[in-house]
Amino acid sequence: MKKNTLAKQIIFYVALVAVWQIVSMTNVWPNNLFPSPYDVAEDLVYTASDGSLFFGIATSLLRLIIGLTIAIIGGMLLGIFMARVEIVNQTIGSLVLGLQSIPSVAWVPLAILWFGLTDGGIIFVTAIGSMFAVTIATYTGVKNINPHYIEAARNMGAKGTQLSIYVLIPAAFPYLISGFKQGWAFAWRGVIGAELLFSFLGLGFLLNVGRQLNDISQVFAIMLVIMMVGIAIDGIIFKRIENKVMSRWGLR
Amino acid sequence: MTKLEAKNIVKYFKHDSHRLKALGGVNLQIEDGEFVCLVGPSGCGKSTFLRIVAGLETPDEGEILFDGKPVTTTGPERIMVFQEGALFPWLKVQDNVEFGLKMAGIPKDERAQISKRYLDMMQLTKFADSYTYQLSTGMKQRVAIARALVMDPDVLLMDEPFAALDAQTRDLLLVEMQLIWEKTKKTILFVTHNVTEATVLGTKVAVFSNRPSVIKKIINVDYKRPRLVEDQNLFPLQQEILSELRPEVKKN
Repeated sequence: MKKNTLAKQIIFYVALVAVWQIVSMTNVWPNNLFPSPYDVAEDLVYTASDGSLFFGIATSLLRLIIGLTIAIIGGMLLGIFMARVEIVNQTIGSLVLGLQSIPSVAWVPLAILWFGLTDGGIIFVTAIGSMFAVTIATYTGVKNINPHYIEAARNMGAKGTQLSIYVLIPAAFPYLISGFKQGWAFAWRGVIGAELLFSFLGLGFLLNVGRQLNDISQVFAIMLVIMMVGIAIDGIIFKRIENKVMSRWGLR
Repeated sequence: MTKLEAKNIVKYFKHDSHRLKALGGVNLQIEDGEFVCLVGPSGCGKSTFLRIVAGLETPDEGEILFDGKPVTTTGPERIMVFQEGALFPWLKVQDNVEFGLKMAGIPKDERAQISKRYLDMMQLTKFADSYTYQLSTGMKQRVAIARALVMDPDVLLMDEPFAALDAQTRDLLLVEMQLIWEKTKKTILFVTHNVTEATVLGTKVAVFSNRPSVIKKIINVDYKRPRLVEDQNLFPLQQEILSELRPEVKKN
Protein backbone atom coordinates (compact mmCIF):
# COMPACT_ATOMS: atom_id res chain seq x y z
CA MET A 1 0.00 0.00 0.00
CA LYS A 2 1.19 3.49 -0.78
CA LYS A 3 2.20 5.64 2.15
CA ASN A 4 -0.20 8.30 1.04
CA THR A 5 -3.17 5.94 1.06
CA LEU A 6 -2.24 4.63 4.48
CA ALA A 7 -2.07 8.16 5.87
CA LYS A 8 -5.50 8.98 4.44
CA GLN A 9 -6.93 5.82 5.94
CA ILE A 10 -5.48 6.54 9.37
CA ILE A 11 -6.92 10.05 9.31
CA PHE A 12 -10.27 8.67 8.17
CA TYR A 13 -10.51 6.09 10.95
CA VAL A 14 -9.36 8.52 13.63
CA ALA A 15 -11.99 10.99 12.43
CA LEU A 16 -14.62 8.25 12.37
CA VAL A 17 -13.90 7.25 15.98
CA ALA A 18 -13.90 10.94 16.98
CA VAL A 19 -17.29 11.55 15.35
CA TRP A 20 -18.58 8.36 16.98
CA GLN A 21 -17.35 9.56 20.40
CA ILE A 22 -18.95 12.98 19.91
CA VAL A 23 -22.27 11.50 18.78
CA SER A 24 -22.35 9.16 21.76
CA MET A 25 -21.55 12.06 24.14
CA THR A 26 -24.46 14.14 22.83
CA ASN A 27 -26.80 11.42 24.12
CA VAL A 28 -29.05 11.61 21.06
CA TRP A 29 -29.51 7.89 21.56
CA PRO A 30 -29.33 6.39 25.03
CA ASN A 31 -26.05 4.69 25.91
CA ASN A 32 -27.63 1.25 26.13
CA LEU A 33 -28.47 1.49 22.43
CA PHE A 34 -25.44 3.36 21.15
CA PRO A 35 -22.22 2.75 23.04
CA SER A 36 -19.20 5.04 22.98
CA PRO A 37 -15.93 3.85 21.42
CA TYR A 38 -14.58 3.69 24.94
CA ASP A 39 -17.34 1.28 26.07
CA VAL A 40 -16.65 -0.93 23.09
CA ALA A 41 -12.90 -0.88 23.68
CA GLU A 42 -13.47 -1.72 27.34
CA ASP A 43 -15.65 -4.64 26.37
CA LEU A 44 -13.01 -5.83 23.88
CA VAL A 45 -10.32 -5.70 26.55
CA TYR A 46 -12.57 -7.54 28.97
CA THR A 47 -13.53 -10.36 26.58
CA ALA A 48 -9.94 -10.57 25.43
CA SER A 49 -8.55 -10.76 28.95
CA ASP A 50 -10.75 -13.68 30.00
CA GLY A 51 -9.84 -15.46 26.76
CA SER A 52 -13.42 -15.81 25.55
CA LEU A 53 -12.77 -13.52 22.58
CA PHE A 54 -9.81 -15.51 21.28
CA PHE A 55 -11.58 -18.77 21.93
CA GLY A 56 -14.52 -17.41 19.95
CA ILE A 57 -12.31 -16.31 17.07
CA ALA A 58 -10.47 -19.63 17.04
CA THR A 59 -13.72 -21.61 17.09
CA SER A 60 -15.23 -19.63 14.25
CA LEU A 61 -12.03 -19.78 12.21
CA LEU A 62 -11.69 -23.51 12.68
CA ARG A 63 -15.24 -24.04 11.44
CA LEU A 64 -14.53 -21.67 8.58
CA ILE A 65 -11.37 -23.49 7.56
CA ILE A 66 -13.00 -26.92 7.61
CA GLY A 67 -16.10 -25.70 5.79
CA LEU A 68 -14.17 -23.71 3.23
CA THR A 69 -11.75 -26.57 2.55
CA ILE A 70 -14.69 -28.85 1.83
CA ALA A 71 -16.23 -26.13 -0.34
CA ILE A 72 -13.03 -25.53 -2.29
CA ILE A 73 -12.31 -29.20 -2.96
CA GLY A 74 -15.91 -30.05 -3.77
CA GLY A 75 -16.43 -26.88 -5.75
CA MET A 76 -13.34 -27.36 -7.86
CA LEU A 77 -14.16 -30.99 -8.62
CA LEU A 78 -17.68 -30.08 -9.66
CA GLY A 79 -16.48 -27.06 -11.64
CA ILE A 80 -13.91 -29.09 -13.57
CA PHE A 81 -16.51 -31.73 -14.39
CA MET A 82 -18.91 -29.07 -15.59
CA ALA A 83 -16.28 -27.46 -17.77
CA ARG A 84 -14.96 -30.67 -19.29
CA VAL A 85 -18.10 -32.78 -19.66
CA GLU A 86 -20.82 -31.00 -21.58
CA ILE A 87 -23.69 -33.14 -20.30
CA VAL A 88 -22.73 -32.41 -16.68
CA ASN A 89 -22.82 -28.71 -17.46
CA GLN A 90 -26.18 -28.92 -19.21
CA THR A 91 -27.78 -30.79 -16.34
CA ILE A 92 -26.04 -30.15 -13.01
CA GLY A 93 -24.87 -26.74 -14.23
CA SER A 94 -28.35 -25.25 -14.12
CA LEU A 95 -28.94 -26.70 -10.65
CA VAL A 96 -25.69 -25.13 -9.42
CA LEU A 97 -26.85 -21.71 -10.55
CA GLY A 98 -30.06 -22.21 -8.57
CA LEU A 99 -28.31 -23.49 -5.46
CA GLN A 100 -25.88 -20.58 -5.61
CA SER A 101 -28.80 -18.19 -5.16
CA ILE A 102 -29.76 -19.70 -1.77
CA PRO A 103 -28.35 -17.55 1.07
CA SER A 104 -26.26 -19.64 3.48
CA VAL A 105 -28.55 -19.01 6.48
CA ALA A 106 -31.42 -20.50 4.51
CA TRP A 107 -29.59 -23.84 4.86
CA VAL A 108 -29.72 -23.57 8.68
CA PRO A 109 -33.09 -25.29 9.24
CA LEU A 110 -31.98 -28.17 7.04
CA ALA A 111 -28.65 -28.37 8.85
CA ILE A 112 -30.36 -28.50 12.25
CA LEU A 113 -32.70 -31.27 11.12
CA TRP A 114 -29.90 -33.29 9.53
CA PHE A 115 -27.05 -32.69 11.94
CA GLY A 116 -28.70 -31.40 15.09
CA LEU A 117 -27.18 -28.51 17.03
CA THR A 118 -23.65 -29.63 16.27
CA ASP A 119 -20.42 -28.38 14.74
CA GLY A 120 -21.24 -30.60 11.80
CA GLY A 121 -24.33 -28.53 11.12
CA ILE A 122 -22.39 -25.28 11.14
CA ILE A 123 -19.70 -26.71 8.89
CA PHE A 124 -22.41 -27.97 6.57
CA VAL A 125 -23.92 -24.49 6.30
CA THR A 126 -20.48 -22.95 5.75
CA ALA A 127 -19.48 -25.45 3.09
CA ILE A 128 -22.72 -25.54 1.15
CA GLY A 129 -23.10 -21.78 1.26
CA SER A 130 -19.73 -21.19 -0.35
CA MET A 131 -19.20 -24.24 -2.53
CA PHE A 132 -21.17 -23.12 -5.56
CA ALA A 133 -19.30 -19.83 -5.84
CA VAL A 134 -16.11 -21.90 -6.12
CA THR A 135 -17.82 -24.22 -8.61
CA ILE A 136 -18.86 -21.38 -10.88
CA ALA A 137 -15.44 -19.70 -10.73
CA THR A 138 -13.72 -23.01 -11.50
CA TYR A 139 -16.06 -23.64 -14.40
CA THR A 140 -15.43 -20.18 -15.83
CA GLY A 141 -11.69 -20.52 -15.23
CA VAL A 142 -11.35 -23.89 -16.92
CA LYS A 143 -13.51 -22.75 -19.83
CA ASN A 144 -11.23 -19.76 -20.34
CA ILE A 145 -7.96 -21.70 -20.38
CA ASN A 146 -5.95 -21.08 -23.53
CA PRO A 147 -6.84 -24.26 -25.47
CA HIS A 148 -3.22 -24.60 -26.58
CA TYR A 149 -2.19 -25.27 -22.96
CA ILE A 150 -4.52 -28.25 -22.83
CA GLU A 151 -3.51 -29.45 -26.28
CA ALA A 152 0.18 -29.13 -25.53
CA ALA A 153 -0.27 -31.04 -22.27
CA ARG A 154 -2.27 -33.82 -23.93
CA ASN A 155 0.29 -33.94 -26.70
CA MET A 156 3.00 -34.48 -24.06
CA GLY A 157 1.04 -37.33 -22.57
CA ALA A 158 -1.03 -35.75 -19.79
CA LYS A 159 -4.51 -37.12 -19.30
CA GLY A 160 -7.31 -37.48 -16.76
CA THR A 161 -6.39 -36.61 -13.18
CA GLN A 162 -2.85 -35.66 -14.23
CA LEU A 163 -4.23 -33.14 -16.70
CA SER A 164 -6.51 -31.70 -14.01
CA ILE A 165 -3.84 -31.39 -11.34
CA TYR A 166 -0.92 -30.22 -13.46
CA VAL A 167 -2.69 -28.14 -16.09
CA LEU A 168 -6.37 -27.34 -15.59
CA ILE A 169 -6.14 -26.18 -11.98
CA PRO A 170 -2.94 -24.11 -12.33
CA ALA A 171 -4.05 -22.67 -15.68
CA ALA A 172 -7.40 -21.64 -14.20
CA PHE A 173 -5.81 -20.27 -11.05
CA PRO A 174 -6.38 -16.57 -11.75
CA TYR A 175 -10.11 -17.38 -11.84
CA LEU A 176 -9.88 -19.88 -9.00
CA ILE A 177 -8.38 -17.33 -6.68
CA SER A 178 -11.30 -14.97 -7.22
CA GLY A 179 -13.58 -17.94 -6.66
CA PHE A 180 -11.80 -18.75 -3.39
CA LYS A 181 -12.15 -15.13 -2.34
CA GLN A 182 -15.83 -15.15 -3.05
CA GLY A 183 -16.15 -18.57 -1.43
CA TRP A 184 -14.37 -17.35 1.69
CA ALA A 185 -16.67 -14.32 1.93
CA PHE A 186 -19.75 -16.53 1.66
CA ALA A 187 -18.23 -19.00 4.12
CA TRP A 188 -17.52 -16.31 6.70
CA ARG A 189 -21.10 -15.04 6.44
CA GLY A 190 -22.27 -18.65 6.69
CA VAL A 191 -20.28 -19.42 9.85
CA ILE A 192 -21.36 -16.30 11.68
CA GLY A 193 -24.97 -16.65 10.53
CA ALA A 194 -25.19 -20.26 11.58
CA GLU A 195 -23.47 -19.61 14.92
CA LEU A 196 -25.90 -16.81 15.58
CA LEU A 197 -28.80 -19.17 15.14
CA PHE A 198 -27.60 -22.36 16.76
CA SER A 199 -24.28 -22.48 18.49
CA PHE A 200 -22.76 -22.33 21.92
CA LEU A 201 -19.37 -21.18 20.79
CA GLY A 202 -17.83 -18.83 18.26
CA LEU A 203 -18.15 -15.21 17.30
CA GLY A 204 -21.76 -15.54 16.13
CA PHE A 205 -22.63 -17.01 19.50
CA LEU A 206 -20.88 -14.18 21.36
CA LEU A 207 -22.83 -11.72 19.25
CA ASN A 208 -26.06 -13.43 20.21
CA VAL A 209 -25.06 -13.40 23.88
CA GLY A 210 -24.59 -9.66 23.57
CA ARG A 211 -28.11 -9.30 22.30
CA GLN A 212 -29.58 -11.56 25.00
CA LEU A 213 -27.81 -9.64 27.76
CA ASN A 214 -28.80 -6.36 26.18
CA ASP A 215 -25.05 -5.62 26.14
CA ILE A 216 -24.78 -3.21 23.22
CA SER A 217 -21.01 -2.75 23.70
CA GLN A 218 -20.46 -6.43 23.23
CA VAL A 219 -22.59 -6.47 20.08
CA PHE A 220 -20.55 -3.61 18.65
CA ALA A 221 -17.29 -5.15 19.79
CA ILE A 222 -17.97 -8.55 18.23
CA MET A 223 -19.13 -6.99 14.99
CA LEU A 224 -15.89 -5.06 14.87
CA VAL A 225 -13.95 -8.25 15.42
CA ILE A 226 -15.87 -10.05 12.67
CA MET A 227 -15.02 -7.22 10.32
CA MET A 228 -11.37 -7.12 11.33
CA VAL A 229 -10.91 -10.86 10.92
CA GLY A 230 -12.40 -10.42 7.47
CA ILE A 231 -10.03 -7.61 6.57
CA ALA A 232 -7.08 -9.58 7.91
CA ILE A 233 -7.85 -12.73 5.93
CA ASP A 234 -8.54 -10.78 2.77
CA GLY A 235 -5.47 -8.62 3.11
CA ILE A 236 -2.99 -11.14 4.44
CA ILE A 237 -3.91 -14.35 2.71
CA PHE A 238 -5.79 -13.58 -0.47
CA LYS A 239 -4.05 -10.38 -1.44
CA ARG A 240 -0.69 -12.14 -1.28
CA ILE A 241 -1.73 -15.15 -3.30
CA GLU A 242 -3.40 -12.88 -5.80
CA ASN A 243 -0.34 -10.67 -6.23
CA LYS A 244 1.88 -13.66 -6.71
CA VAL A 245 -0.44 -15.28 -9.21
CA MET A 246 -1.00 -12.10 -11.16
CA SER A 247 2.68 -11.38 -11.65
CA ARG A 248 3.51 -15.03 -12.35
CA TRP A 249 0.87 -15.28 -15.04
CA GLY A 250 2.16 -12.03 -16.51
CA LEU A 251 -1.16 -10.31 -15.87
CA ARG A 252 0.48 -7.32 -14.29
CA MET B 1 11.77 -45.80 -44.44
CA THR B 2 8.44 -43.99 -44.46
CA LYS B 3 7.85 -42.31 -41.13
CA LEU B 4 4.59 -40.54 -41.82
CA GLU B 5 2.03 -40.91 -44.51
CA ALA B 6 -1.02 -38.76 -45.08
CA LYS B 7 -3.64 -40.53 -47.14
CA ASN B 8 -6.32 -38.40 -48.75
CA ILE B 9 -6.91 -36.17 -45.73
CA VAL B 10 -10.18 -34.26 -45.99
CA LYS B 11 -11.32 -31.76 -43.37
CA TYR B 12 -14.32 -29.47 -43.23
CA PHE B 13 -14.51 -26.27 -41.21
CA LYS B 14 -17.80 -25.30 -39.68
CA HIS B 15 -18.48 -21.82 -40.92
CA ASP B 16 -21.72 -20.43 -39.45
CA SER B 17 -24.31 -22.82 -40.84
CA HIS B 18 -22.47 -24.21 -43.85
CA ARG B 19 -19.44 -26.42 -44.06
CA LEU B 20 -16.31 -25.25 -45.73
CA LYS B 21 -14.01 -27.81 -47.27
CA ALA B 22 -10.57 -26.84 -45.97
CA LEU B 23 -8.50 -29.85 -46.87
CA GLY B 24 -9.50 -31.50 -50.13
CA GLY B 25 -7.55 -34.73 -49.97
CA VAL B 26 -3.99 -34.15 -48.87
CA ASN B 27 -1.49 -36.86 -49.72
CA LEU B 28 2.03 -36.71 -48.40
CA GLN B 29 4.74 -39.20 -47.69
CA ILE B 30 7.56 -38.33 -45.34
CA GLU B 31 10.68 -40.41 -44.93
CA ASP B 32 12.47 -40.85 -41.64
CA GLY B 33 14.73 -37.88 -40.93
CA GLU B 34 13.28 -35.56 -43.53
CA PHE B 35 12.71 -31.89 -42.84
CA VAL B 36 9.52 -30.99 -44.68
CA CYS B 37 8.25 -27.44 -44.82
CA LEU B 38 4.61 -26.80 -45.60
CA VAL B 39 3.86 -23.49 -47.27
CA GLY B 40 0.55 -22.22 -48.56
CA PRO B 41 -1.78 -19.24 -48.72
CA SER B 42 -3.12 -18.16 -45.35
CA GLY B 43 -6.26 -20.03 -44.33
CA CYS B 44 -5.47 -22.96 -46.61
CA GLY B 45 -5.53 -25.37 -43.71
CA LYS B 46 -1.82 -26.21 -43.46
CA SER B 47 -1.92 -25.71 -39.69
CA THR B 48 -5.04 -27.86 -39.50
CA PHE B 49 -3.18 -30.54 -41.41
CA LEU B 50 -0.37 -30.36 -38.87
CA ARG B 51 -2.88 -30.64 -36.02
CA ILE B 52 -4.36 -33.71 -37.67
CA VAL B 53 -0.89 -35.27 -37.87
CA ALA B 54 -0.47 -34.44 -34.17
CA GLY B 55 -3.75 -36.18 -33.44
CA LEU B 56 -5.24 -33.02 -31.96
CA GLU B 57 -7.95 -33.05 -34.62
CA THR B 58 -9.51 -35.88 -36.56
CA PRO B 59 -9.88 -35.80 -40.32
CA ASP B 60 -13.33 -36.15 -41.88
CA GLU B 61 -11.88 -38.54 -44.45
CA GLY B 62 -8.56 -40.24 -44.90
CA GLU B 63 -5.96 -41.26 -42.39
CA ILE B 64 -2.48 -40.55 -41.12
CA LEU B 65 -0.11 -43.48 -40.89
CA PHE B 66 2.73 -43.27 -38.42
CA ASP B 67 5.27 -46.07 -38.91
CA GLY B 68 2.56 -47.71 -40.97
CA LYS B 69 -0.03 -47.63 -38.18
CA PRO B 70 -3.06 -45.30 -38.29
CA VAL B 71 -2.97 -42.36 -35.89
CA THR B 72 -6.03 -42.23 -33.63
CA THR B 73 -5.00 -39.92 -30.84
CA THR B 74 -2.31 -37.48 -29.80
CA GLY B 75 0.90 -38.80 -28.31
CA PRO B 76 4.44 -37.90 -27.34
CA GLU B 77 6.00 -39.56 -30.40
CA ARG B 78 4.59 -36.64 -32.45
CA ILE B 79 5.30 -33.47 -30.50
CA MET B 80 3.86 -30.14 -31.53
CA VAL B 81 5.56 -26.76 -31.13
CA PHE B 82 2.85 -24.10 -31.13
CA GLN B 83 3.07 -20.72 -32.77
CA GLU B 84 3.07 -18.79 -29.50
CA GLY B 85 4.86 -21.55 -27.64
CA ALA B 86 1.95 -22.43 -25.37
CA LEU B 87 4.37 -22.49 -22.44
CA PHE B 88 2.85 -22.86 -19.01
CA PRO B 89 3.12 -19.54 -17.15
CA TRP B 90 2.79 -21.23 -13.75
CA LEU B 91 5.99 -23.21 -14.24
CA LYS B 92 9.62 -22.19 -14.31
CA VAL B 93 11.50 -22.70 -17.56
CA GLN B 94 13.07 -25.92 -16.35
CA ASP B 95 9.73 -27.28 -15.14
CA ASN B 96 8.18 -26.38 -18.46
CA VAL B 97 10.89 -28.31 -20.25
CA GLU B 98 10.46 -31.28 -17.91
CA PHE B 99 6.67 -31.33 -18.11
CA GLY B 100 6.34 -34.26 -20.49
CA LEU B 101 8.92 -36.28 -18.57
CA LYS B 102 7.00 -35.68 -15.38
CA MET B 103 3.79 -36.86 -17.03
CA ALA B 104 5.66 -40.00 -18.09
CA GLY B 105 6.53 -40.64 -14.44
CA ILE B 106 10.27 -40.15 -14.78
CA PRO B 107 11.88 -39.40 -11.39
CA LYS B 108 13.07 -35.91 -10.55
CA ASP B 109 16.83 -36.50 -10.74
CA GLU B 110 16.60 -38.17 -14.08
CA ARG B 111 14.35 -35.40 -15.38
CA ALA B 112 16.88 -32.79 -14.33
CA GLN B 113 19.65 -34.65 -16.14
CA ILE B 114 17.69 -34.88 -19.37
CA SER B 115 16.40 -31.33 -19.28
CA LYS B 116 19.87 -29.97 -18.57
CA ARG B 117 21.08 -31.35 -21.88
CA TYR B 118 18.37 -29.56 -23.84
CA LEU B 119 18.53 -26.39 -21.80
CA ASP B 120 22.21 -26.28 -22.70
CA MET B 121 21.49 -27.01 -26.34
CA MET B 122 18.99 -24.15 -26.54
CA GLN B 123 21.24 -21.84 -24.47
CA LEU B 124 18.66 -21.56 -21.73
CA THR B 125 20.72 -22.75 -18.78
CA LYS B 126 20.82 -19.42 -17.02
CA PHE B 127 17.07 -18.98 -17.49
CA ALA B 128 16.21 -22.36 -15.95
CA ASP B 129 14.68 -20.72 -12.89
CA SER B 130 12.90 -17.91 -14.73
CA TYR B 131 9.19 -17.74 -15.32
CA THR B 132 8.01 -17.40 -18.88
CA TYR B 133 6.73 -13.83 -18.46
CA GLN B 134 10.34 -12.81 -17.84
CA LEU B 135 11.45 -14.08 -21.26
CA SER B 136 11.50 -12.47 -24.68
CA THR B 137 9.46 -14.00 -27.48
CA GLY B 138 12.58 -15.58 -28.94
CA MET B 139 13.55 -17.11 -25.61
CA LYS B 140 10.04 -18.48 -25.20
CA GLN B 141 10.31 -20.26 -28.53
CA ARG B 142 13.64 -21.72 -27.46
CA VAL B 143 11.93 -23.09 -24.37
CA ALA B 144 9.12 -24.45 -26.52
CA ILE B 145 11.62 -26.24 -28.75
CA ALA B 146 13.54 -27.58 -25.74
CA ARG B 147 10.28 -28.79 -24.22
CA ALA B 148 9.52 -30.66 -27.44
CA LEU B 149 13.01 -32.14 -27.89
CA VAL B 150 13.09 -33.43 -24.31
CA MET B 151 10.33 -35.84 -25.25
CA ASP B 152 12.67 -37.33 -27.85
CA PRO B 153 9.80 -37.56 -30.32
CA ASP B 154 10.10 -39.36 -33.65
CA VAL B 155 8.42 -36.43 -35.32
CA LEU B 156 8.56 -32.76 -34.48
CA LEU B 157 5.56 -30.75 -35.67
CA MET B 158 6.18 -27.02 -35.80
CA ASP B 159 3.34 -24.59 -36.45
CA GLU B 160 4.83 -21.28 -37.60
CA PRO B 161 7.05 -21.19 -34.52
CA PHE B 162 9.07 -18.21 -35.73
CA ALA B 163 6.23 -16.10 -37.09
CA ALA B 164 6.14 -13.72 -34.14
CA LEU B 165 9.90 -13.19 -33.89
CA ASP B 166 11.91 -10.19 -34.96
CA ALA B 167 14.14 -10.71 -38.00
CA GLN B 168 17.47 -11.08 -36.18
CA THR B 169 16.15 -13.56 -33.64
CA ARG B 170 14.47 -15.52 -36.39
CA ASP B 171 17.62 -15.71 -38.53
CA LEU B 172 19.55 -16.98 -35.55
CA LEU B 173 16.95 -19.64 -34.78
CA LEU B 174 16.82 -20.68 -38.43
CA VAL B 175 20.50 -21.57 -38.23
CA GLU B 176 20.11 -23.29 -34.87
CA MET B 177 17.13 -25.26 -36.09
CA GLN B 178 19.26 -26.70 -38.89
CA LEU B 179 21.96 -27.68 -36.39
CA ILE B 180 19.37 -29.29 -34.13
CA TRP B 181 17.96 -31.24 -37.02
CA GLU B 182 21.42 -32.44 -38.06
CA LYS B 183 22.27 -33.37 -34.49
CA THR B 184 19.03 -35.08 -33.51
CA LYS B 185 18.06 -36.63 -36.86
CA LYS B 186 14.40 -35.88 -36.15
CA THR B 187 11.73 -36.00 -38.77
CA ILE B 188 10.36 -32.47 -38.87
CA LEU B 189 7.17 -31.06 -40.31
CA PHE B 190 7.33 -27.29 -40.31
CA VAL B 191 4.44 -25.01 -41.26
CA THR B 192 5.33 -21.52 -42.42
CA HIS B 193 4.00 -18.82 -44.69
CA ASN B 194 7.54 -17.60 -45.29
CA VAL B 195 9.09 -19.01 -48.44
CA THR B 196 12.64 -18.02 -47.49
CA GLU B 197 12.26 -19.79 -44.16
CA ALA B 198 11.00 -22.88 -45.97
CA THR B 199 13.97 -23.07 -48.37
CA VAL B 200 16.48 -22.42 -45.61
CA LEU B 201 15.11 -25.18 -43.41
CA GLY B 202 13.58 -27.86 -45.57
CA THR B 203 14.90 -30.84 -47.39
CA LYS B 204 11.54 -30.61 -49.14
CA VAL B 205 8.99 -27.85 -49.49
CA ALA B 206 5.38 -28.89 -49.97
CA VAL B 207 3.21 -26.19 -51.52
CA PHE B 208 -0.45 -26.19 -50.54
CA SER B 209 -3.11 -24.94 -52.94
CA ASN B 210 -5.96 -22.69 -51.94
CA ARG B 211 -9.09 -24.23 -50.33
CA PRO B 212 -10.01 -27.00 -50.65
CA SER B 213 -6.31 -27.58 -50.26
CA VAL B 214 -4.25 -30.30 -51.77
CA ILE B 215 -0.50 -30.46 -52.06
CA LYS B 216 0.15 -28.79 -55.38
CA LYS B 217 3.82 -29.39 -55.69
CA ILE B 218 6.74 -30.77 -53.72
CA ILE B 219 10.07 -29.11 -54.31
CA ASN B 220 13.33 -30.68 -53.19
CA VAL B 221 15.95 -28.43 -51.68
CA ASP B 222 19.39 -29.93 -52.12
CA TYR B 223 21.83 -27.41 -50.81
CA LYS B 224 24.64 -27.38 -48.30
CA ARG B 225 23.99 -26.44 -44.68
CA PRO B 226 23.87 -24.35 -42.67
CA ARG B 227 21.93 -22.25 -45.11
CA LEU B 228 21.57 -18.57 -44.48
CA VAL B 229 18.57 -16.39 -45.14
CA GLU B 230 20.58 -14.05 -47.35
CA ASP B 231 22.05 -16.84 -49.50
CA GLN B 232 21.48 -15.81 -53.14
CA ASN B 233 21.76 -19.38 -54.40
CA LEU B 234 18.43 -20.23 -52.81
CA PHE B 235 16.78 -17.38 -54.68
CA PRO B 236 15.75 -19.33 -57.84
CA LEU B 237 14.07 -21.97 -55.69
CA GLN B 238 12.24 -19.31 -53.74
CA GLN B 239 11.05 -17.80 -57.01
CA GLU B 240 9.84 -21.18 -58.15
CA ILE B 241 7.84 -21.67 -54.95
CA LEU B 242 6.45 -18.16 -55.13
CA SER B 243 5.31 -18.70 -58.70
CA GLU B 244 3.39 -21.75 -57.47
CA LEU B 245 1.93 -19.84 -54.55
CA ARG B 246 0.98 -16.59 -56.21
CA PRO B 247 -2.04 -17.86 -58.21
CA GLU B 248 -3.28 -19.63 -55.06
CA VAL B 249 -3.12 -16.50 -52.96
CA LYS B 250 -5.03 -14.59 -55.65
CA LYS B 251 -7.85 -17.13 -55.57
CA ASN B 252 -8.40 -16.28 -51.94
